[in-house]
Amino acid sequence: MANASGVELSKTFTAGLWQENPVLRLLLGMCPTLAVTAAVKPALTMGFSVIFVLVCSNIVVSLMRNLLKSHLRILMFTLTIATFVTIADLFLKAYLPEMSETLGPYIPLIIVNCIIICRAEACASQNGLVVSIVDAVGMGLGFTITLCVLAGVRELLATGMFAGHAIMPRAFVPWAAMGLPVGAFITLGLILALVNQITKKQA
Amino acid sequence: MRKKVQYFLQESWLLLVATILFGAVLATLDAAWRPRIEQNEIDKFNRLAGAMLTDAVRFDMAAEGLPVTGDKGRIIATDIKKGLDAGGNPVGWAFIAEGPGFADRIRLVVAVDASFERLRGFGVLFSNETPGFGDKMKESEFRDQFVGVPATGLELSKTGDRSVIDNNIVAITGATVTSEAVVDVLNRFMARVRDQMKEKGLI
Repeated sequence: MANASGVELSKTFTAGLWQENPVLRLLLGMCPTLAVTAAVKPALTMGFSVIFVLVCSNIVVSLMRNLLKSHLRILMFTLTIATFVTIADLFLKAYLPEMSETLGPYIPLIIVNCIIICRAEACASQNGLVVSIVDAVGMGLGFTITLCVLAGVRELLATGMFAGHAIMPRAFVPWAAMGLPVGAFITLGLILALVNQITKKQA
Repeated sequence: MRKKVQYFLQESWLLLVATILFGAVLATLDAAWRPRIEQNEIDKFNRLAGAMLTDAVRFDMAAEGLPVTGDKGRIIATDIKKGLDAGGNPVGWAFIAEGPGFADRIRLVVAVDASFERLRGFGVLFSNETPGFGDKMKESEFRDQFVGVPATGLELSKTGDRSVIDNNIVAITGATVTSEAVVDVLNRFMARVRDQMKEKGLI
């Protein structure tokens, strides 16, 4: 895919959104998926942080792919990813301190997010710059959209709000369990079941 | 020996170069953003302390790094700040106290009056307690019962009248561990900080 056509790039981009969605189809990045989806704003921040790290690490890995020694490649990937995660972490602490506190250890934990090392190994280390960037944006958006859908459902049911804005009628009784880990597992399970059902019908 | 060094450099030059490069990038960004990060922390401390010591217009450092023995014998250094009103008169003291909570460590900003006799309250600097249960420690219903209590020997009970201002603190329903953690942290830090401030002649 050294000189990828528009169609190929489009396929690469959309793969992350649906066919190879990291959360719904590959079941990668489960830790932040379950941990930071109690509300939409932290989910969105996590999503953008992952997109930033994914795009930057894919660019660096793609640029150095011909220089990589096979037995040192995972070490190089981890070093690259850790650098960009640290940048994201510092940026949030400096410019979005309250969000940084809300997300707590889950921003530094992006370092061990399987999606990023998976894309470095499966795509960026074997493809050119453009394909690697498109792949990173597609995968990152797929991850972010899934997190936001999950967070939207949970926040709505747990608090009656969406992204901090009250939208449910006064009579609505908040379902506090949806804001707890049990709510994350139930919502993710139901969404996965729905996705499997749609996939079966398409097959 | 020379061959070994040559082999080592051949295999790892990319790793070494990347490490130096990434390290330089991180050092530069850290230097650029560190003042802002530190200012965010100071602002949050001042905001929380100012909400309890309402007459204070500024907080000056009174004692740096007073050691307090925390959980598991761990030594925690805390800075003591003096709250001053517009005329420069002391209105109270504020410091950070921390200890283990239910889900994670809790960090509190504690404010006491100028004579260190009465607690003026606490604010939550960091906590990751269970939503709907332990995180009620941030709500005024729980926090208000600490305002004006003697700055020594707080006790926790599961039932009682929260409007009565005395050493008896009524726990949050369903979050006894978090309530105990708050009382333990306050008792431990207030006792040790007061003793050391007396030794230093500050009170």
